[in-house]
Amino acid sequence: MRSFIKPFLAVILAGLLAACSSTPTEEDTSSTDTMGQNTQTTPTTPVERPKPSKPETSSIPLTAENFHNHPSNYDGTTDTRVIYFAFDSNTVPAAAFESLRAHAKYLKQNPNAKVRLEGHADERGTREYNVALSERRAEAVQKFLRVQGVSASQLETVAYGEEKPAAFGHTEMDWAKNRRVVLNYTAGRP
Amino acid sequence: MMRIINVRSTFARVAAAMALTMLALSARAELMIQITEGRVDAVPIAVVPFAGASDAPENISDIVRADLHRSGQFKTLEPGDMLSRPTSADQLSFRDFRVLNQEYVVVGSMQKTDSGAYEVRYGLYDVTREKQLMTESYRPPESQLRDVAHAISDRIYEELTGIQGAFSTKILYVTFNRGTQNPYQLQYADADGARVRTIVRSKEPIMSPSWSPDGSKIAYVSFEKDGLPKIYVHDLASAQRRVVAQYKGINGAPAWSPDGQRLAVTLSKGGNPDIYSLDLNSGALEQLTDHYGIDTEPRWMPDGEHLVFTSSRSGGPQIYELDINDKSTRRVSFEGAYNARPDVTPDGRYLVYVHRRNGSFHVGVQDLQRGTFDIVTKTDMDESPSVAPNGSMIIYGTQYRGTGVLQAVSIDGRVKVELPSKEGEVREPAWSPFL
Repeated sequence: MRSFIKPFLAVILAGLLAACSSTPTEEDTSSTDTMGQNTQTTPTTPVERPKPSKPETSSIPLTAENFHNHPSNYDGTTDTRVIYFAFDSNTVPAAAFESLRAHAKYLKQNPNAKVRLEGHADERGTREYNVALSERRAEAVQKFLRVQGVSASQLETVAYGEEKPAAFGHTEMDWAKNRRVVLNYTAGRP
Repeated sequence: MMRIINVRSTFARVAAAMALTMLALSARAELMIQITEGRVDAVPIAVVPFAGASDAPENISDIVRADLHRSGQFKTLEPGDMLSRPTSADQLSFRDFRVLNQEYVVVGSMQKTDSGAYEVRYGLYDVTREKQLMTESYRPPESQLRDVAHAISDRIYEELTGIQGAFSTKILYVTFNRGTQNPYQLQYADADGARVRTIVRSKEPIMSPSWSPDGSKIAYVSFEKDGLPKIYVHDLASAQRRVVAQYKGINGAPAWSPDGQRLAVTLSKGGNPDIYSLDLNSGALEQLTDHYGIDTEPRWMPDGEHLVFTSSRSGGPQIYELDINDKSTRRVSFEGAYNARPDVTPDGRYLVYVHRRNGSFHVGVQDLQRGTFDIVTKTDMDESPSVAPNGSMIIYGTQYRGTGVLQAVSIDGRVKVELPSKEGEVREPAWSPFL
């Protein structure tokens, strides 16, 4: 058992590192925004997808730090409707790639289906600035789907900032649950 | 802390009234201690219960006493501690107030007339000099008793400080009550929290309320109906409103120009959040910033020629100033890695904005003349600071025991007013202009 978990953990950690590589220190939390949309957010097609080994996911501790990239949050199908983000990051987490590919495939096969990508931020910082940050998350997911070949006409983004939290507490875990993009099908729901 | 430049500005820092209902006043009396924190020089004043006040629908002397107390400028005497309770000049014994170290005393009466209106008279007296400073009378209908009370507070405040009082102003804010049918509501109330009026109720978020310079209209962002953001302009008297911006992407952060003709807004229709000027008469849109970073949260400087706004162009959010004529920008904030959501005092001297230090968000004040910057709050999830029209106080949103509440602080940080939370969350306060 242990030998299975270890490599799997390594994959998760690698994904975490990739997702967090631009995550700044607490004293410089916003530097990812500075790069602008030219360099950031481009969730290019991943070279390698992490091997889903479902039985093991429960054995990986779920923390506020790895929440956005924890396999238990993504089932690899269109049933996954929420993509989580690391603190102050617009990078689509590696663990969500497979689920997003499933959405892309579905959208390509169902041209009448439309999805609204709803970006959210945690409560820290000012409200309109958070609206802007959350728009960047929604755009990151949009770009991912576009790169997969989804038509622009099937996608729409809306930025809610911190106005519609999923979790109402004020802990790191609550914030991790609130930094997200929700895929809301407005037509042709799978 | 900031230095005091002259006597007038000293007074200017301390003023204004905040949202404590009388009920909360007694229930959370311990919070009142914070009001005079740092102000040992608060002026002792006795507002004696007016004749007829306890039988009237609004107790004017209680309202005036609470107004003056909350300003932090005055230390008010409890009626129970008074040696005598005169209600007219001929009953007034200065000695009874001098022995209690009072500097000023207010006495008055309110009586219902045959027409149904009230006859309100009062006088303000200098205890040391045993002299009448001011006397006034009003004949309000019952519905305007609170307005008269706040007008009296304004007059007394101005007489004793030289600064126009802001007790007759309003506060606009957003409330959130989870689990209710319309959790998001846009409301406004008197500056002391009384007479709450609901402007909009919605299932979807309401954000960024802003007053027109004449106080007759407001602008705000609402996600109602289709879940997408639109900017509305809403006439308070008629309750008529119209959508002025519904572009693709963000429609946010409306801020009224000093002449009332334009709104500065944040739109991301160009692929990125930038600041635009929207002509409210013609609907014409002019793009003011064009940068791949985030530009948002504009506020007009009093000259109507410049805007301050939040931009991520240099890294994290910082405050920039924009010249709307040549569209040049310059960075204004330099301390720390997070400075956002500026507001400006009516004289254009101080910028007030959210500043992050050690992971906490505080309200900071930057003196544009001297170049100094000071954090003025001790709370640590602060946002949405809004300056009173007399430049004395800042109202802002923060958290108290996990719930959104409003608090107020003087520009110099010496007076802090903790406001009780109403039901649910209260957020994004916007202080009205003089009305």
